[in-house]
Amino acid sequence: MENGNSSFGDKKCALKPIRCKAAVSRKAGEALVMEEIMVAPPQPYEVRIRIICTALCHSDVTFWKLQVPPACFPRILGHEAIGVVESVGENVTEVIEGDTVLPTFMADCGDCADCKSHRSNLCSKFPFQVSPWMPRYENSSRFTDLNGNTLFHFLNVSSFSEYTVVDVANVVKIDSSVSPSRACLLSCGVSTGVGAAWETAKVEQGSTVVIFGLGSIGLAVAEGSRLCGASRVIGVDINPDKFQIGQKFGVTEFVNSMTCGNKRVCEVINEMTGGGADYCFECVGSSALVQEAYACCRQGWGKTITLGVDKPGSQICLDSFDVLHHGKTLIGSLFGGLKAKTHIPLLLKRYLSNELELDKFVTHEKKFEEINDAFQLLLEGKCIRCVLWMG
Amino acid sequence: MNKTTSFSINKGKPIRCKAAVCRKAGEPFVMEEVQVDPPEAYEVRIKILCTSLCHTDVTFWKIDSGPLARFPRILGHEAVGVVESIGENVDGFKQGDIVLPVFHPQCEECKDCKSSKSNWCSRFADDFLSNTRRYGMASRFKDSSGQDIHNLFYISSFSEYTVVDIAHLVKISPEIPVDKAALLSCGVATGLGAVWKVANVEEGSTVAIFGIGAVGLAVAEAARLRGAARIIGVDLNPDKFEIGKRFGITDFVNSALCKEKTISQVIREMTGGGVDYSFECIGLEPLMEEAFLSTRTGSGKTVILGMTKDILPIRLGSHDILRGRTVCGTLFGGLKPKLDIPIIVDRYLKKELNLDGFITHELGFEEINKAFDLLMEGKSIRCVLWMDR
Repeated sequence: MENGNSSFGDKKCALKPIRCKAAVSRKAGEALVMEEIMVAPPQPYEVRIRIICTALCHSDVTFWKLQVPPACFPRILGHEAIGVVESVGENVTEVIEGDTVLPTFMADCGDCADCKSHRSNLCSKFPFQVSPWMPRYENSSRFTDLNGNTLFHFLNVSSFSEYTVVDVANVVKIDSSVSPSRACLLSCGVSTGVGAAWETAKVEQGSTVVIFGLGSIGLAVAEGSRLCGASRVIGVDINPDKFQIGQKFGVTEFVNSMTCGNKRVCEVINEMTGGGADYCFECVGSSALVQEAYACCRQGWGKTITLGVDKPGSQICLDSFDVLHHGKTLIGSLFGGLKAKTHIPLLLKRYLSNELELDKFVTHEKKFEEINDAFQLLLEGKCIRCVLWMG
Repeated sequence: MNKTTSFSINKGKPIRCKAAVCRKAGEPFVMEEVQVDPPEAYEVRIKILCTSLCHTDVTFWKIDSGPLARFPRILGHEAVGVVESIGENVDGFKQGDIVLPVFHPQCEECKDCKSSKSNWCSRFADDFLSNTRRYGMASRFKDSSGQDIHNLFYISSFSEYTVVDIAHLVKISPEIPVDKAALLSCGVATGLGAVWKVANVEEGSTVAIFGIGAVGLAVAEAARLRGAARIIGVDLNPDKFEIGKRFGITDFVNSALCKEKTISQVIREMTGGGVDYSFECIGLEPLMEEAFLSTRTGSGKTVILGMTKDILPIRLGSHDILRGRTVCGTLFGGLKPKLDIPIIVDRYLKKELNLDGFITHELGFEEINKAFDLLMEGKSIRCVLWMDR
């Protein structure tokens, strides 16, 4: 029986399942269980990856806690990672064994009308959804536990495992010389935030920006705004500690939404900015906050960008008079409007040329086996990114 | 005696002339003699040559209560005129100039007017209900009993003469036929601008237009000129399809016949996922929501042009907006009147833009009630009222 330590040169591995360690989420809200699992070989258009390291993102926590669909158990969570190609299925020419890759939850098939259009980053061949399965084959999983039971996939990545199988549409080849604990951040959170500022909003030099929610996404928006030359980056959060943290990311002023007194946050911001910001970003996932953000983006050319994911069925309500008369724009953005295969390499270049700063996002590094500690840190708001290294 | 000579007689004095005064919501207009005061500083008194009826006039004519209701009032805001006299501090306009009064202000001095990013005028755009820009509720119109008559959008073109602030006035070439020019003071320019400036529709795009009135037809014409591949018109009135075809509409959805499906479902099915751009040109919140849902995941953009009468919420599913959609509203199609109208006039004169077909009826000013009936019955697109007939 092959184990996770087989070398890549060993062709026998390529066609066989691999037995390796994974952190399996078996019950909502309960500690992940480190266990041995079986990872099937890649099907046509798939790539089996040996994970080097993976970081914990809030979306992992959301679907770990959730007790209703689209949460499902037992599942292998994790979607922000970096790895090396162990083997490829038929029809895969984009990457070969040994390539360093980032698996990405956002598909980039390169083939459909949307991937080909410069106006969209949402692949319509593999539309974004929280599915338990591999994207290309119906009801198909590559994971089983040692009892032969199916383990569900997560966001097309499932990186809380020493090995995973990912569709080629969800794989981006990158420069192998990049530090893994930094590069892995670009497969989700940092790209989402930086992209939102850079690609979705196209923040201009000298702009005033407001960011609602200074979690990793909000901080990445701040970093992106800094790169775009924003002159003021106002951070809004309920946690006063976030200001000090935020300053490292370019946040110039802070509004604690709990201590605005009789005023609404939007009133405070409209006063601070003399009529509203050029760009407002909502990075929490609350429709009410999106409305608040809309109320303090500037009349005439203000743009409000929503990045946070709210509960299914939630609605953003805008006053029709306001929409017609005040010239504001509301834009929704997934993965920062970025096309994974085009933009991730560009972001990596900007990191390597010391423009984009990634080090400050990594506040903790642990071993894979310590994954439950990482969950605790994130739940307690004590980390930005905790990177977990595989053996 | 030519026009200019006759103008000199009234300079600095009030003018007595005819106007269609609205005294009660929704009631036929009665032509009255009114007094039009001379222009104050920064104002221009103009003789209206012709004025066309825009649906927003109908909307405001029907409002009987609430903050938007004003009586008595002179409606009308789509027109073309000749400068009769100017107040102090007026540069750029002189007696005899052909001008368009425009409801959307451009002071040319505020931060927004100086920026190319939008057509917002932060100095003036917030207030659309006073009677004058710089003198509050003072009115330049008085009826025969000396009572003030309220203004509409700083224009009030249902009068032989009116007084307009320079922020609302655009000088245009005398070469364009005046009735075509009047279309550019509101509806048609709005539709053109929404496509060219706000949405920036690209060749090969798919477009859905909710409401095939003058604004919707202008959107269609502008999209056609940009090379849009499909232009879907949505309306309750099946006659609008025939008219629409002349302006580039390729497909028609009769919203009354969609049965169990929503309009957006029908459009998404027709287009394999939704249109690149949708335009709401009516002013009804549920239709703005449908226009939003008609757009393609990942790239759909919705532009709202319709003037609403009640202020209701537009509800956008966060799931849908997150997936790469954009929503914005626009007044006057994002155009800066003084900059962009002359450019559009020029395109017309160079035969790059066709304004035929918008004017379906022409009547004399005194037949204004008939013009209202034609529009409300869905029988006209633009009815031009000539002052001198």
